[in-house]
Amino acid sequence: MRIDQRLRRRWPWAALALFAVVPLAMPEGFYLDLLMFTFMYAAMAVGWDIMGGYAGYVSLGHVGFFGLGSYAAALLLVHLGLPVFMTAPLVGLMASLLGAGLGFISLRTRGPAFVIVTLTFTYVAQLLMLDLKSVTGGSQGIFLPLLDLPANLVIVPFYYAMLALLVIAILVSIAIRRSKFGLGLIAIREDEGKAEASGVNTSLYKILAFAISVWFAGTAGALHAQYLNYVDPDLAFELIITLNLIIMSLFGSRGIVWGPVLGAFVIYPLSAYLIFLLPSRLAGQLHLVALGVVLVLVVMFLPDGVLRTYMAWRKKGPKDYGSVEAQASMAEAPG
Amino acid sequence: MIAASNQPGGPAPPIAEPSANLVIRSLEKSFGGITALSDCSFEVRAGSITALIGPNGSGKTTLFNCVTGFYRPERGEVRFGGALLARLRPNEVVHLGIARTFQITRIFKNMTVLENMIVPIRQIGLRTLFTAGIKGPERERAEALLEFFGIAFLRNEPAGRLSFGQQKLLELAAALMAEPKLLMLDEPAGGLNPVMIDRLTAYIRELNVGGMTFLIIEHNMGFVMELCEPVIVIHRGRVIAEGSPAEVRANPAVLDAYLGD
Repeated sequence: MRIDQRLRRRWPWAALALFAVVPLAMPEGFYLDLLMFTFMYAAMAVGWDIMGGYAGYVSLGHVGFFGLGSYAAALLLVHLGLPVFMTAPLVGLMASLLGAGLGFISLRTRGPAFVIVTLTFTYVAQLLMLDLKSVTGGSQGIFLPLLDLPANLVIVPFYYAMLALLVIAILVSIAIRRSKFGLGLIAIREDEGKAEASGVNTSLYKILAFAISVWFAGTAGALHAQYLNYVDPDLAFELIITLNLIIMSLFGSRGIVWGPVLGAFVIYPLSAYLIFLLPSRLAGQLHLVALGVVLVLVVMFLPDGVLRTYMAWRKKGPKDYGSVEAQASMAEAPG
Repeated sequence: MIAASNQPGGPAPPIAEPSANLVIRSLEKSFGGITALSDCSFEVRAGSITALIGPNGSGKTTLFNCVTGFYRPERGEVRFGGALLARLRPNEVVHLGIARTFQITRIFKNMTVLENMIVPIRQIGLRTLFTAGIKGPERERAEALLEFFGIAFLRNEPAGRLSFGQQKLLELAAALMAEPKLLMLDEPAGGLNPVMIDRLTAYIRELNVGGMTFLIIEHNMGFVMELCEPVIVIHRGRVIAEGSPAEVRANPAVLDAYLGD
């Protein structure tokens, strides 16, 4: 039991150490790219889960913040010469402010208004980037100056940046889960009226959670733009990105710190492999179908996600629940 | 009986926050064509255990909802101390010192008992919000309250696993975490066995001696008669009688409301 617990606490650090040395062992190629995108999706999924998992409010708008983050970073670089690695966290803050504004409009009521508003927001953002041709170049997009690095090493800084983003996401998620704020968010998910009757300022909590949640999307979008050296409205606002985040969170388990991480580490490599396997003419469509199938299977057979189902299975029988601290930390969460 | 105001040169302020009277004036609320409250007025004196009784559908719970910010009354006003409540949101009402429980017990079933105790929040401050939730004086208070209600041994159980009676006690204990001056209980004895009801009565008395005001909706007349003074009777959304339990029992209008037409 004790060894088991110690292992559970330490494996994330072991994994982190391992990921940190991967680029030294193989500084180029397919796997580095694969890991980098996995980190990016995991970080955004953990961020999505702060809103979608803890508070229970499903956002369909995260790609809107991702895309706007891409554009903001691109414009800051092209017009002001500010490097993306410097501006990315600030671009994330801009996304958070925008998220707070959007939340202010849509989160003061309960229910599905939020879902609709976030989805609409994505399309409005995309349309704006398409139509504000004088600023954004319209459908031609914006080319970003290349990084001054040898072509085979160019991925390395992005790899570490996305890894750092993931670490930040996990730490923030753990901190929220342990805080009174996090308890308030879960209370909102469980029974919003009762949460209000307990003195929880539900609107403020939700707006704050959403602002934190989209920071990761905005920051990831900024980094992604520089990685591709290019941004256009189709690429930056692909709805599939939001869907990925949702499927990853559902698959791994919503409302648990490590749920979306697990989901991202399973779903992203699988879909990348699928795209790699299939003839490119079909890959785009078939990969969407496959994601849909995964979603249906998860909803039908694992409605609580892999991690929660596994935890429930392990807890079966007359077992103690462990301390609340242990539950609040790491993979353990009630439910 | 009147809320103490600390005038300069007056007596030293008491240690506990002074409670305040809850004043309800000409409250009106209807749903579609159905009038739930019409010209409903009464007062809950600070330090009292006031009962609110009446036949089913007489408007008791609607009144609770109007006071605690869940409904917006169409007319009339609700005052607590100096504050006007009618336009506030439920959480703001809690921050003024009014907590409530629900007719059908509402707890966070997937959270542990202790977590249920930490959710309620009286004052909002960013620092308290983002430090670890379950710790320090707040945790001690939560533990003490759970001890007080005899459910501390369940602290790490998911609240949904508690028995019905335990869930009611947890809801009450959690409401107390918000440090209310006025506690509004909607059928606290409903569905409890006689032993539990005796315990509940003792708990409420003890809290009342400590200075807490109560407004209680209850159908269990034994419980009301033993614990509450005064008793307010409403029927069709307005007050038809008010007085000591004995006075109310002797009032023909009350009998009429329960049995008549």
